[in-house]
Formats: sequence, C-alpha cells, structure tokens
Amino acid sequence: MNREPPIQEGKFSIAVLPIENLSGTRAPLKEIRESLIHMMGAKGFRILEEETLEKFMERNRIRYTGGIDKPLAQAFKNETGTGGVLITSLELYSDVNPPKIALTSRLVSTGEDPAILWVDGVGLAGDDSPGILGLGLIEDPKILSKKALDILTRSLGEYFGKKLGREHVQSVKGKFRPKTFYRSDVLDPDKKYSVAIVPFLNMSGRRNAGEILELQFIRNLKTFEQFDVVEPGLVRQQLLMLRMIIAEGISLANAEALFATLDADLILAANVFNYQDYQAVFGKPKVDFFVQLIERKSRSVVWSSVSYNQGDDGVFFFDRGRVNTSHAMASQMAQWIGEMMLEGSKRAQAAKVQAVDGNHR
Amino acid sequence: MIKKFDQYRIFLCFIFVFSAACATTSNIYRDPNMDFGAIKSIAVMPFVSLARDNVAAERVRDVFINKLLSTGAVYVLPTGEVARGVARAEIANPATPSPEEVVKLAGIIKVETVITGVLKEYGEVRSGTAAANIISVSLQMMEAQTGKVVWSASTTKGGITVWDRLFGGGGQPMDKVTQRAVNDLINKLFK
Repeated sequence: MNREPPIQEGKFSIAVLPIENLSGTRAPLKEIRESLIHMMGAKGFRILEEETLEKFMERNRIRYTGGIDKPLAQAFKNETGTGGVLITSLELYSDVNPPKIALTSRLVSTGEDPAILWVDGVGLAGDDSPGILGLGLIEDPKILSKKALDILTRSLGEYFGKKLGREHVQSVKGKFRPKTFYRSDVLDPDKKYSVAIVPFLNMSGRRNAGEILELQFIRNLKTFEQFDVVEPGLVRQQLLMLRMIIAEGISLANAEALFATLDADLILAANVFNYQDYQAVFGKPKVDFFVQLIERKSRSVVWSSVSYNQGDDGVFFFDRGRVNTSHAMASQMAQWIGEMMLEGSKRAQAAKVQAVDGNHR
Repeated sequence: MIKKFDQYRIFLCFIFVFSAACATTSNIYRDPNMDFGAIKSIAVMPFVSLARDNVAAERVRDVFINKLLSTGAVYVLPTGEVARGVARAEIANPATPSPEEVVKLAGIIKVETVITGVLKEYGEVRSGTAAANIISVSLQMMEAQTGKVVWSASTTKGGITVWDRLFGGGGQPMDKVTQRAVNDLINKLFK
C-alpha cells in the first residue's frame, strides 16, 4: 500500500494484464487471472473488457507483461481510455499439500508519465495458521489462491478509499534486519527520492529470483513517503534503448546514463545468492542477498547491506514465529532496509543538529 | 653415571626443543613504508575460488566489501565500476592481475589500492561422523602507483571443534563463519 492520493473511481477503468509467471513452475495462470477479474468486478472496479484488451495487445505486439513503458502507457490511454494497468506477477505456486502461493500486483498509471500508483503482495502457505487440531489448515490450492487474491483486491480497494474490511498490514520482525550494513550521511530523510531499481543479478539456483526480489523492493520502498519508485517497465525500456547489460553490477557510467534518462536520484542494485522455497511439509525458505544504492549527486554508494535469513530463524518452540514462504521473509527483509536507510539518516541529522547546538553554546 | 658435561648438553637439547613451542608465526605482511591511514578508496577485485560452490567467491567478496564500507574508514568502489575498469584495462584474469595491470586499472577507476583474494575453502568439512562449516580466505592489497603488494593476510574460521566431535551439531552456519572470517581480515588490515 502507499500514500498516493486516491483516484476518483467511476471514470477510472483498469486493464488487467495476463499474469507474469516468475514461479518457474507450471501454474493455472488463466484461472488465477479470471478469479482476480471476478473479485475486482464484484468489488465495483471497472475492468477493461477482455476482447478490447486482447485486440490492443495484438495491435501493439505486447509479449512482456511484467511492466509497461512510456509508448505503451500512452497507447493504453489513447486507444482504450484506461486510467491504470494492473500488472500481476506470480512468484510462487505449489499445489503439493500444504499448497503455497505468492503474488505481487501493482497498478501503473497510463498516459505520458506512467507511475506506480499502488503495489502490494501476498505470500501464503496452507499451514501458516494450522490452529488447534489442524483445523486452520488449507489443503485446497484454489481456496488458498482465493484468499491471496482477496487480500490483494481488498488492499487495492483501500487505495481507492473504499472500506472493504480488514486492513492488510505487514508486521516487521527484528530478526530480518540486514546482518551488516553501510549507510552514508548523504541520504536526507526529509527529501523525496526517486529510486530506479535495476535488474538484480541472480546467482541463486531459483529461476527469476532477481525479478522476484526486485518486486519485493518496489513494494516495500513504496511504503515510505520518501521513496518514489520508478516503474520497472520504464527502467527496462531505457536499458534496452541504451543497450546496457548489467552483467557484474552497475558501473558509474551506466548509473549516470540511467540517472539522466530516468530522472532518478538513486539506483538500487543487488546480487541474489539464495532465494529458496520448499515444497510439502519439510524444509525452510532461505533468502540471501547483497544490496547497493548509488546516489546521483555524490556518484557514490550511499547504502550497502548483506541480508540473509531462514524461515526458522529465532524459532524454538512449536514452530511459533516460523515463516513458510520466502516471499513473506524477503518482504520483511526489504522493509527493514528501507527503514534503516531513513532511520540512519534521521540519526545522522540529529547528531549534526546536536553538534551545531554544541558549537553555538 | 652421567658426566656433568653430558648433563649440560641434555639440558641444552631440552631448551632447544621446548623453546620451539613458544615461537609464534604471523600470517600478516605489512609494508612498513606504506601509510595505510592515507588510503581513502579501494577496489576489490573478483576473488579466485578454489571451493566447490560456484557463487561462494562472489558472496565472500560482497560481504567483505560491505564490511569494509561499514568501517567508514575507506570507500569501496561499486563492483560494476570495477568490472568496467577491468574491461577497459583489458585485464584477462581480473582475479590475479599483474602489477602493470593494477597500475592501469587504478588509473581508469581512480583508486589508491586494489585488493585481490583467494577463497581456499568454503563449505562443509567432515571428519568421521562430525561435520562443520569452514572458510579459508587470503587477501592481498596492492598499491595503485607501483602495483606493489603492501599488505597480505589470511584467515581460517569454522571447522570441526572438540564440541562438534563429542556432541555433534554441525558447527556454525556458513553465513556466521563468513562474517567471522571477514571481521578477522578487516581487523588485520586496520591493526
């Protein structure tokens, strides 16, 4: 969820793009998308008709559904009149008992300047809340999918100012803090930064782990007022136009080109070493990554951190506090990084004020 | 009966043998003429990996870069910038550059020193029924102006302890062992 001003509904119609499959496995994408459209329709959202969307996609030769670039956003506005495009990525799908699902959705505005209006994600496992005698276990993947989609559509509804029930709030636990970090005082907590997230280097065995973790950062940085995340479709478009391949991290020359073309203040890059989920009952999710943030004016690294966690970290009795999906874990790890970037800056500012006060006295 | 002269000789032999136990060896080299306090920027080259794990060297390098930055004493160049410099300097083997290549690279990316490293061991070791994680790394720092080695150190952390042999447990997680090794190397650098 974010704090952007809500858009007046009624005139605002949404195009729901086909779901991008990052799970690396076969998944019922069509069914999930149909359920999503059905739920959104039931909650009063105006959805772009399927036939119109299909014709539009055919006309504009859209194959990549993980983001939209400027010409496409403009075409959406001019040709279909939609106000926003809903981009949904399936990060995890397992129908082996207990089932697991992880989804991230974002609403991107159409027109000249596409921007992320809303973003949220959900990661659920059938045994997240087993309850007494296992009465809370979910064994049917369809029920779990519906639950996940319900959380997403409620969150989208809240963005549009509707009161649809329970608020989806993420609690962040201390154990998911980065293990080591560097933070420069250059980051100003009172300034609003535009952050461009470049594709993460995936060194893990999991397919698409870079894209999945990138979505986690988009979602979690967007929860802070100080960070305005650039739509990844725009970053992708610029990388293609500049013929830029980020094979071993981003260089300062590449960063400068991206700063100029995207008008971003910060560039976030990362290496993903491990992003592991497990099937069935036995196992634990593992997430391990290294993040660096480069600032435009100083042309230097202003944040660097190493994070790694396992689903059973800090769990001693009866699996209390256990995390069952890497989505849920990575989300909290990314949230911590955002908090610490700003928290540290606030502390540095406070120290500077104290020092100035001390000098005046 | 042993003569007094023989007693003296035996005593000397004992002293000679047991004094070896008091000897200490250091695995650090520091150039006495180098002013380490003047170093402000460092480029960390990709590490050579002699371990089975493909990404271990990258992982250890990233942890080392992060720890080095977090000391606040030096600035470490982004890995992408180092890669750009390596490409421009046409260094065939960036993990083991020659002094001339170091000088050329430092001129392109504007750094004062270049660090290279070798990851000798990374992962689980077994001895009988006991198993534990181990890491062994050695690093070298080269001065940018001359390409001369000014600092070198190595460390080994983890491994099977008496506790592991007696009670099992598998030792510490790999991440913690890596952190300990990197901390040790940084302590040796700023000693």
